[in-house]
Amino acid sequence: MTQSLLDPLFSAMGHLLPFGFAEPLFMKRAILAMLFVAPAAAAAGVPLVHFRMAFFSDAIGHSAFTGVAIGVLLGVHPLLTMVAFGLFVAWAITLVKGRTELSPDTVIGVFFSTVIALGIAVISAQKGLTRNLQAYLYGDLLAVSETELLWMGMLLVAVGAYLFLAFNKIMLIGVHEGFAKSMGVPVRGLEISFALVVALVVTTAIRAVGILLVTALLVVPAAAARNVAHGIVSAFWAAIAIAVVSGLLGIAASYYLDTATGATVVLFAAAFFAITALLKGLSRT
Amino acid sequence: MTPPTHRHTLEIRDLSVRVGESEILSGINADIRCGEVTALVGPNGAGKTTLLLAILGLVPYRGEIRFCRAAEHGEGAPRIGYVPQRLDFDRNAPMRVIDFFALSSQRYPVVFGHSARSRRSAEEILARVGAAQLISRPLGKLSGGELQRILLALALRDNPDILLLDEPVSGVDLSGEVVFCDFLSQIHSESGFSLLLVSHDLSVVSRHADRVICLNRQIICQGATTEMLTPENLEAMYGSGAHLVSHGPVDGSGHLHGQSASGQEEEKGD
Repeated sequence: MTQSLLDPLFSAMGHLLPFGFAEPLFMKRAILAMLFVAPAAAAAGVPLVHFRMAFFSDAIGHSAFTGVAIGVLLGVHPLLTMVAFGLFVAWAITLVKGRTELSPDTVIGVFFSTVIALGIAVISAQKGLTRNLQAYLYGDLLAVSETELLWMGMLLVAVGAYLFLAFNKIMLIGVHEGFAKSMGVPVRGLEISFALVVALVVTTAIRAVGILLVTALLVVPAAAARNVAHGIVSAFWAAIAIAVVSGLLGIAASYYLDTATGATVVLFAAAFFAITALLKGLSRT
Repeated sequence: MTPPTHRHTLEIRDLSVRVGESEILSGINADIRCGEVTALVGPNGAGKTTLLLAILGLVPYRGEIRFCRAAEHGEGAPRIGYVPQRLDFDRNAPMRVIDFFALSSQRYPVVFGHSARSRRSAEEILARVGAAQLISRPLGKLSGGELQRILLALALRDNPDILLLDEPVSGVDLSGEVVFCDFLSQIHSESGFSLLLVSHDLSVVSRHADRVICLNRQIICQGATTEMLTPENLEAMYGSGAHLVSHGPVDGSGHLHGQSASGQEEEKGD
């Protein structure tokens, strides 16, 4: 079933990307995974950067330590427990943030350390878990299964649908919460739902680029796009384009240079950031 | 000025707001009537912004805030327009004025472009506040006065029943302030919404407000503007040493001095 769904996509890729690196099946899977995950991450990244939530995204990423450990302990697929635990942490952070006078980064900092500590404690108690964790720490795009591919495809559709309904309202909250509320925007509900969507994107994207780099996939394309864009329209589509192009270039380069795929993708995105920052500097002088 | 029967009234009864252990507002009773300009004055930390947030439903409160509308003027929840004191947003955000308008008026995401309807309504209302030329400018590059006009235009766009203005002239220079206030009174006399205005600037208050509510965590006094701004009441609110000084081109009135050294700093999140 999975096979029959993906086969047409793979054969289409054979025509669209007639390059040596795209020939093996595992490379086709990796490219397709990147084409699903990168636009979803960049699209969620635009409001994320607007909200200054990069640290939040990092905390969710690191909650994957615990999520994966729980999965291995319970004997279920770590992707499931990682996503579920990530959603739980996102919900908990948002709830606590709304009910305390502490600054958001303090609240996130507390959760950040707690979830890492919990993950390390569980992992250290279980011999043999450490090796399993490597794939999540650095990402393992070349070993993505077809079930995971389908999951990533569904993520792209879900993020697209959510942003189609909520993008305007979320951006309005980012300008001024009270002002958005006076315009009839349901602020609390959107804050929680956006946090959950970010958690979904982050935990899924970990398979591609790893816990350590996952925030980069959301933040760097959006930040690079900001350097050159003047309005929301160009900022959004530039972020998507930068994410997809960095994804493809990164996969190709990692194939020939034999470097870690996730890291290479992020380096290309960072290069886009550097170039756009220079362009911005030049346009000012 | 005040019409004999009010189209609508916002009734605030026994309102109190607590944040953690501290009581920010208590025992607030007030009526905000249609067509009137009510000024909310008080020192930093008096809870003025908090009262606006309570009316907007953004902070939890005890007591009642009731909106009463005369039957012949429709029904349903009031439309509240709000102009915050300052926008705490990222000034480098890639967002033009037209984007900001479209975010709040069109259903499909702004990333697919601006709808003809949202562009038209933005052009109309910006022309009304004399800011038509700002439509394509980045939001983060506007001056304080320009940003106030944009926010006012947005707040007015949906014909509010109640307009809440938090320190409308902070961050605006003195000439801009006079222009803004005159413009505001003109719009107000045309539209007849009720206007609740937080201000430190007693020249603005004495020129434009019908009624004054003096607030310092509770209501010190309220009533007609001319009767309320007495030295005794000012001292009760701001402590001794408070006085009015003449300031710039405005006759016989001025800014209030003698508060904390931070001057115009407002109680963000108190």
